[in-house]
Amino acid sequence: MKRKLPLAICFITGVSMIVQFFIPHPTSLEFSSMIYKWIIVLMALALILAIGNLIRHHGNKIRRKKENWQYSIVTLSGMVVMATIGLAWGIDPDSLYQRIYLNVMAPLGGTMFALLAYYMASAAYRSFRARSLEATLLLLSAFIVMIGFMPFGQYLHPRFPAFAEWIMKVPNMASQRGILLGVAFGSIATALKIILGIERSWLGGKE
Amino acid sequence: MKWYDRITTIDRRIIYLLLTVLVIMPFFVKVTIPQKIMPQTQKLFDFIESIPPNDKAVLISFDYSPQTMPECHPMAKALLKHCFARGIPVIGLSFDPEAPGLAVDALVSVVHELDSLADQKDDSLIYGIDYVYLGWKSGRIAAQLDMGEAISGVFPRDYFGNLIDSLPLMQVVKNYKNIAIVVILASADYPIDWIRYPQTRYGVKVGAGLTAVMAPQYYPFVQTGQVSGLMSGMKGAAEYEKLVLDYGYARTLGNAETGMNSQSMIHILIMVFIIIGNVGYFFSRRKKEAQK
Amino acid sequence: MLILLITLASHLAIPLSPCLLITVPQTISTPQTSPDLPVSQSSELPVSRQYAPPSKVTAIDKPNDAGSVIQLRWTLSPDDASIEGYTILRKASEDTAYTKIGSTISGVTTFEDEDVQDSVQYKYIVAAIGNGEMYRSEPSALVTSYPQLFHTGRINVLLCIVAFTLTLAYLVIKARTGKDLFIRKIAGLAAVDEAVGRATEMGKPILYVPGLGDIDWTATIASMNILGEVAKKIALYDSALIVPNRWSVTYTVSKEVVKEAFISEGSPEKFKEEYVRYVTESQFGFAAAITGIMMREKPATNFFIGRFWAESLIMAETGAQTGAFQIAGTDSVLQLPFFVTACDYTLIGEELYAASAYLSREPLLLGSLKAQDYGKLVVLLILFGFTVISFLGINLLPLLGVQ
Repeated sequence: MKRKLPLAICFITGVSMIVQFFIPHPTSLEFSSMIYKWIIVLMALALILAIGNLIRHHGNKIRRKKENWQYSIVTLSGMVVMATIGLAWGIDPDSLYQRIYLNVMAPLGGTMFALLAYYMASAAYRSFRARSLEATLLLLSAFIVMIGFMPFGQYLHPRFPAFAEWIMKVPNMASQRGILLGVAFGSIATALKIILGIERSWLGGKE
Repeated sequence: MKWYDRITTIDRRIIYLLLTVLVIMPFFVKVTIPQKIMPQTQKLFDFIESIPPNDKAVLISFDYSPQTMPECHPMAKALLKHCFARGIPVIGLSFDPEAPGLAVDALVSVVHELDSLADQKDDSLIYGIDYVYLGWKSGRIAAQLDMGEAISGVFPRDYFGNLIDSLPLMQVVKNYKNIAIVVILASADYPIDWIRYPQTRYGVKVGAGLTAVMAPQYYPFVQTGQVSGLMSGMKGAAEYEKLVLDYGYARTLGNAETGMNSQSMIHILIMVFIIIGNVGYFFSRRKKEAQK
Repeated sequence: MLILLITLASHLAIPLSPCLLITVPQTISTPQTSPDLPVSQSSELPVSRQYAPPSKVTAIDKPNDAGSVIQLRWTLSPDDASIEGYTILRKASEDTAYTKIGSTISGVTTFEDEDVQDSVQYKYIVAAIGNGEMYRSEPSALVTSYPQLFHTGRINVLLCIVAFTLTLAYLVIKARTGKDLFIRKIAGLAAVDEAVGRATEMGKPILYVPGLGDIDWTATIASMNILGEVAKKIALYDSALIVPNRWSVTYTVSKEVVKEAFISEGSPEKFKEEYVRYVTESQFGFAAAITGIMMREKPATNFFIGRFWAESLIMAETGAQTGAFQIAGTDSVLQLPFFVTACDYTLIGEELYAASAYLSREPLLLGSLKAQDYGKLVVLLILFGFTVISFLGINLLPLLGVQ
């Protein structure tokens, strides 16, 4: 029963949403609108479960003084302080919440994204080697695209930006489409497999 | 260790240090390199340019987080200036939980800037009439689809707690029928949802402003017309700023231009290191072959 | 779970539709050449012959909709270049005179009246505006709007779904009868045993990142299927597991998946609540948390399976620095180069969807892979056919009425 019930719910909802897609009648639209609202509410409810897990996990860490437990205090206090400030003093453009957001969270986040530039530089240096014909072609096209997209690329040769764009629009796009096509079929097949109950790995596998 | 072996194994910390210096440099040494506008940026600009004033609204989905602020924030500001200058109402919303703070900041700063430039008091932009920010909502795809029937069903109140039906703009803009285009400003794959779902069902026009790492994924969609225009990373933002300036919708450029110079420096550094690595690799391989 | 299912259902029909939607031409009611109803000649709508009015006004119920919309079409006034625009006038069957309901600029030949009541009969007149006067067309035929029960524009999608489901069913039945289906070796998946074994030997945990996409991404669902198989192996080998989640729903699903996997392997007591964690919805906050876990807990093996964005390299590169054995799998085309650079094995695109079939070797799942391949073959043939036709200079799209 524990397995059959989710499979039944899955099948009924899945099929009714497919059928709904083909019926433009107002009743069908009301049905879909109701389902969408349910999704929004359920997703918001799941957030409560998730936050519960976060508090439990870090609370346990602090209580048992596990390794690096101090970080857990930072996590929990950050969450509580921000939520309290937002709830108590509002989230208007001039509020304390907005100021903390723009002056603490934004620079911290920016630092994280900036790491990408460092990692990209070191990864490119280590891996972009002309080891074979394919690797050489990859290297050359990467160079052309990089130069072409830089503002001064057009001064090296007026055709550079256009050539870089051609690489992006023709060979790059063709390969992307190939993968996209596979992905689209994979998506449909996965959806069908779950709706029809063929795929059960998400329920712990076979009966 | 031979010289060529040494240059193939440069410590990553040296690369990091050089990169830091080069990123900071353009902030002190001002260089202005003329921009060539990429066709996809021009397309987005032309689309906004073709919307009649005081008719349909532009819906901006602010889905970028503070991490990608340097790339997406200038895009948001340039786009807002363009819409407001042309008298196009703007509705903002977010599906990324980190985005509302930035959306509010972009709206408030652009409105302040334009109001300070306005000739008369009547020209100032009014919340609820010229622009509205709806805030964040969970259940992204479900919300996007449901908005096709009624925006008020998904967002009964705006970000500041006002009832949607009390806002004059939202009394006119009921669903996608009153939206000229949805522009998604994001650091992740959010536009694809708009293409797959509301565009397929309701024929919504989609535009995007994405980080440079994400943008190439959408080139196929620009070609098919599913995306009506695209700003790609800081370059796209700088181009849009320039277009807005050239058409007289703004008096100054934004800060994407300076960022572009830093970015170009990183590109040059990466290329130099790739060349160094390959020279070293070439010589060490030749040496190995000679030894055989 | 409901969310997962509903979202999946939408996924099913949508990916195909943008490229395959074909509209079936609608019959348009012909305009009446001689009006049977008198056109109101009220004093506020004077008729003058200075400009020619538009002609051939047709009104139809908008096809494939929920009703309450009528579409109008007309032929431009011969004086279109000189007039100011067109005004649309409407009269319900119980009304005595026409009333203005909207207007368009000159050069426009269509209008949608979205303010009609279903089952009420209407007539329309389109008038050219010039010199402050109206030059009115003949009225349209009577028209009624009503909601449709079937979207004829989506027949092609329906056919595709039916064909695909039938192929799937056929191959699944064939697989059930014991016919051996070949599946090529996928190196990244063949290495899963090695990856889990390595962690057990080293006494270090296994980090499984189910991507940064919410549960509505098929890659996340595929990742959950793989997580189920990986967790079963972990339950057997007796190593520790860390599954950090970005979204609340993926957290609840992945927790269930891991728990069920331990139960199905007969060792529910080995499952610990702390294995599956919720972290944060923040994209780079999540990346920061993952790199933190890698640096502090030094997992022996890292799995990055699901949907990834710009943060992929930050995580994969940190993992490479800690010396972990790394297996990645994603359908995010742009992140593939980063994973290929920094990981030991990478599952590319649809290999990800094949993974649960590959790992479980269940004949039913293997059968579905075959159906997927046939589907792809059909689409490739269609693409090839259209390419050849377009090389020959024939444009079929207008004939098919492709949207």
